[in-house]
Amino acid sequence: MAEATGTPKSEFLASVRRALGRQAGPPQTEYPRLAQGIEQLEDQAREVRERVQANRGALLDKLAEVAQLRGWQVRRTPDPEEAMDYVQSLADGQGANRVVRSRQEVFEAVPLDATLTGMGITVTEVAHGEGASRESLREQIAMSGMGITGVDYAIAETGSAVIVPRRGLGRLVSLVPPVHVALVRPDDVIESLDDLFLMRRLEYMRNGGDMGPYLNFITGPSRTADIEQTIVVGVHGPKEVHMVLLG
Amino acid sequence: MPEVKTRDFPAASAVSILDPQIRMALQRAGTGFDGGRRECIEEVTPQVWEEWREQARQTKLHTLDHLDYYLEMLEERVSANGGQVHFAADAAEANAIVADLVRTRGVRIATKSKSMVSEELNLNHMLESIGVDVYETDLGEYIIQLAEETPFHLVAPALHKSKEEVSRLFTEKLGVPPMDDINALAAAAREALRQRFLEADLGISGANFLVAETGTLVIITNEGNGRLCTSAPRIHVGITGMEKVIPSVQDLAVFLRLLPRSATGQRITSYVSMVSGPRKHDDEDGPEEFHLIVVDNGRSRMLADPDLREALMCIRCGACLNICPVYQKVGGHAYGWVYPGPIGSIVSPMLVGLDQASDLPQASSLCGACREACPIRIDIPRMLLHLRHKLAEEPDAGGRAKGTMPRPIANGFAKVMANPGLLSATRKFARAAQAMLLGSPISPLARGGRGIRKAGLPLLSKWTHSRDLPEIAPRSFGEIWKQELSNPDGER
Ligand code: SF4
Repeated sequence: MAEATGTPKSEFLASVRRALGRQAGPPQTEYPRLAQGIEQLEDQAREVRERVQANRGALLDKLAEVAQLRGWQVRRTPDPEEAMDYVQSLADGQGANRVVRSRQEVFEAVPLDATLTGMGITVTEVAHGEGASRESLREQIAMSGMGITGVDYAIAETGSAVIVPRRGLGRLVSLVPPVHVALVRPDDVIESLDDLFLMRRLEYMRNGGDMGPYLNFITGPSRTADIEQTIVVGVHGPKEVHMVLLG
Repeated sequence: MPEVKTRDFPAASAVSILDPQIRMALQRAGTGFDGGRRECIEEVTPQVWEEWREQARQTKLHTLDHLDYYLEMLEERVSANGGQVHFAADAAEANAIVADLVRTRGVRIATKSKSMVSEELNLNHMLESIGVDVYETDLGEYIIQLAEETPFHLVAPALHKSKEEVSRLFTEKLGVPPMDDINALAAAAREALRQRFLEADLGISGANFLVAETGTLVIITNEGNGRLCTSAPRIHVGITGMEKVIPSVQDLAVFLRLLPRSATGQRITSYVSMVSGPRKHDDEDGPEEFHLIVVDNGRSRMLADPDLREALMCIRCGACLNICPVYQKVGGHAYGWVYPGPIGSIVSPMLVGLDQASDLPQASSLCGACREACPIRIDIPRMLLHLRHKLAEEPDAGGRAKGTMPRPIANGFAKVMANPGLLSATRKFARAAQAMLLGSPISPLARGGRGIRKAGLPLLSKWTHSRDLPEIAPRSFGEIWKQELSNPDGER
């Protein structure tokens, strides 16, 4: 590992302590959130799952509504065939001849490859190893007109798709192609930001202090209003984002 | 550090206030950003908004009061995730840390997403001086970089530029044909930067929040450049002020609700990215190295002063700028350094030295709109007054503007105001003098008709040459009360 440069940690912390006029050590009363241990979080997470389970229909309605307001083009269908038709029509409209997708469970329910290949589109599953290097995959992604992924969570409160990158789920698939399609299963839906961060914290504790190096919220297309406060979509990320809600 | 021009505030503001383009841009920010913010508050209801503000404020207060503890936790957790934290006491040290990484890793191209702290360090300048091609990638920052200017606004750095100016700039610097469509301009920037993203060795980002518990850097963006900077290059360096830390990942919920709504009136930004370390062995992509540079650069001075500590709770949303009657007239550049507006009038003097920026605490009517708008309820007017007090008490700190009213006059004023008999006598005298002076055609007070405008009163001229001296009313409130309003029976 790299060496720390700059002011040594002990010296830096000592100067902060001097400024505060306090001694080293934890706060007198522990910060309430940090005081909650794994058992309490497990209990709370169970409550969240029960609540989400009980309200799934309403949460899906809300997700669809809010996501639309935040700039997603939402297509809701429980039928995998219809979902595939939709993606096919998108690819058709785009005139995309290359598509990249992640390697995730959702593609077993929605096996898109055959459909797209049948249209003469080259589909690349982005997962390194087995002959595919990271560099070559990156090139594939850069050349593709569309990236398709599943999501780890979809938040009804904000209309966000949350992706936790890992093997088979690269960061760039949902970022570099001009069109991103997110396939959302009913099980992915949670209600709020509080639910999400509770789950993440639990995950971190369960894994002994690890929740993966990256997490990304996606809420609508890439956009800017940096010139004359006029909104432009598709700056460095996708200009078009579609949420296919499978329920 | 970039050139400190905070001493020029009076002259610079006198120029910018007359600039019609700046006025138009500021109006847009007022209606766009602040209007959006208000809509959001109505939507969630003011009551819920207040609960969020309280929660966020308590979290920030607690963290700052135990900052050393949470910084240590942060450092441990980032290390456990495979990243490296560096601590920098000042700008020079922060730059040296980056320069060292550049040298040892053979960095040649760097892409950068928005970071106010890097402006504080003048990082781009340093990188260029050691031969690194550095590209700002946020559209507003990119425009500012090409124009060789500093940000005009915390959230919208190029707010003051018209599309015609941007087009001229792009034609000159990028060699593209002139265009008058904003979509086309954004596309030109995208084209120019796309290849850089893929070539860059180093991605530099700021941080909106640092989560101590999990060792996580959080950035909030709309364009996707932040995602690219933290994902595509082989090294990611986050640079940020030490005050950005919060204890728990669960604290993020409330801050993610407050920040975008306060900044741009968005319910949430297009992207929120959370970086907890370099990529794992098996990950598809992401940087091989993650470094986090935690910068003091004068912040411990604010931390040490209980009256100013609050200023470190700022989440740089810009809401106080959009609502400030002074910022809304003079714009961001007049403030002369990195941080403009009401919060800048506290932070800049504390970071560059109060003697360098003694005019900034005066650049406020103390109306309190900033405190109202601030999602963390930071009491900006109180701190501005505190700085004015410091300037008045320690003449050396002021350098130049030691308050605008000479001390004997201020003392006399205080004495009169504290004594009802004396006040009444003084008022009678002043009323008579006023009648005489206003009646005289050669009076310096009579310019501009009935009002006493911009009076060049001897001894008081510093106070009165840019302020209207209100005319003394024919009857005082006390007299009106006595004659008409008070109830002799003692009932109301
Ligand atoms: S002081 Fe408050 S309102 Fe101003 S930028 Fe900071 S957080 Fe926003």
